Amino acid sequence: MAKTDKQPLLDSELELFFNAARKADVEPSADVFNAIIADAEAQLSAVETLPVVGQGSQEGGWLQSIFSAIGGWPAAASLASATVAGVWIGFTQPVQLETLSGGLVLSGDYTAADTSYALEDLAPGYLGTTLFAEDEG
Amino acid sequence: MALDAYEEASDEALLVLYGNGDPMAAQLLTHRLAPRALGFATRLLGGDRAEAEDVTQEAMLRLWKQATGWRTGEAQVSTWLYRVVSNLCTDRLRKRRTVNIDAAGDPEDGRPSAVESMMDEDRAQALQGALNRLPDRQRIAVTLRHIEGATNPEIAEIMDISVEAVESLTARGKRALAKDLAGRREELGYGED
Repeated sequence: MAKTDKQPLLDSELELFFNAARKADVEPSADVFNAIIADAEAQLSAVETLPVVGQGSQEGGWLQSIFSAIGGWPAAASLASATVAGVWIGFTQPVQLETLSGGLVLSGDYTAADTSYALEDLAPGYLGTTLFAEDEG
Repeated sequence: MALDAYEEASDEALLVLYGNGDPMAAQLLTHRLAPRALGFATRLLGGDRAEAEDVTQEAMLRLWKQATGWRTGEAQVSTWLYRVVSNLCTDRLRKRRTVNIDAAGDPEDGRPSAVESMMDEDRAQALQGALNRLPDRQRIAVTLRHIEGATNPEIAEIMDISVEAVESLTARGKRALAKDLAGRREELGYGED
């Protein structure tokens, strides 16, 4: 029996339409193709001719001059790394420092040493530590 | 780089090459992507080839501008491009509706007679007419799924919606197309079973 117009298409019938659409010619014309390529080349040229900030001009100011003088980004990166390392060494416990130095800096367990030095032993009177000692009795 | 190596390179690799100043990569990318962008735009814009060409050129220009800052591994180049085309077409359709709300209809019939006689061409035109009558989001989802061959997760990324929402849009879109095209069954030569 023939299907009536009121019955929706089956998936297989609808697929014929999708197939036909997939086969349809959608190649861009030569003009469009050339225009797209011209845009690509113009964009490349625009990127290549962008002025470098601070190069050969005074626009960067004194901060830019200092930045350039120390060697630019590579030097700034090294400086940042050294700063972070310095902070870490400053905060880390001496035990770790000993581990890192292979026992050259400190030997034994520093935290369990028999002899320990308080700040007032090293710098008597410094920052009024004697007052604290007196308060403690 | 040898031509073979260019042809085997992924879209993303070619885009990075272009971003590094290689114009040959732009040519290959255009050959690969512009026909897909144009086909997609043509369907979304109701068969308006001239406007679809404008959209394709605009979308490709945005791709060139994106090249130097392209973040590798984040999205497929084709997915990104479909998304741009979809947004550009949606904008144009919105503007078009404010000018003439009844503008959407069957595509023009002024094609050469040799092409008109082909069954596939007739079916493609009938489908385009039915697609034009779908809501925008259903048209985008159905076109991407059933003509462009995108997967549901890719469509979800292009349309910025969930996979479930994609499934719902494509199912409703297909049902509407099946009803709409039922009247063309005899005319298009497959109603004799």
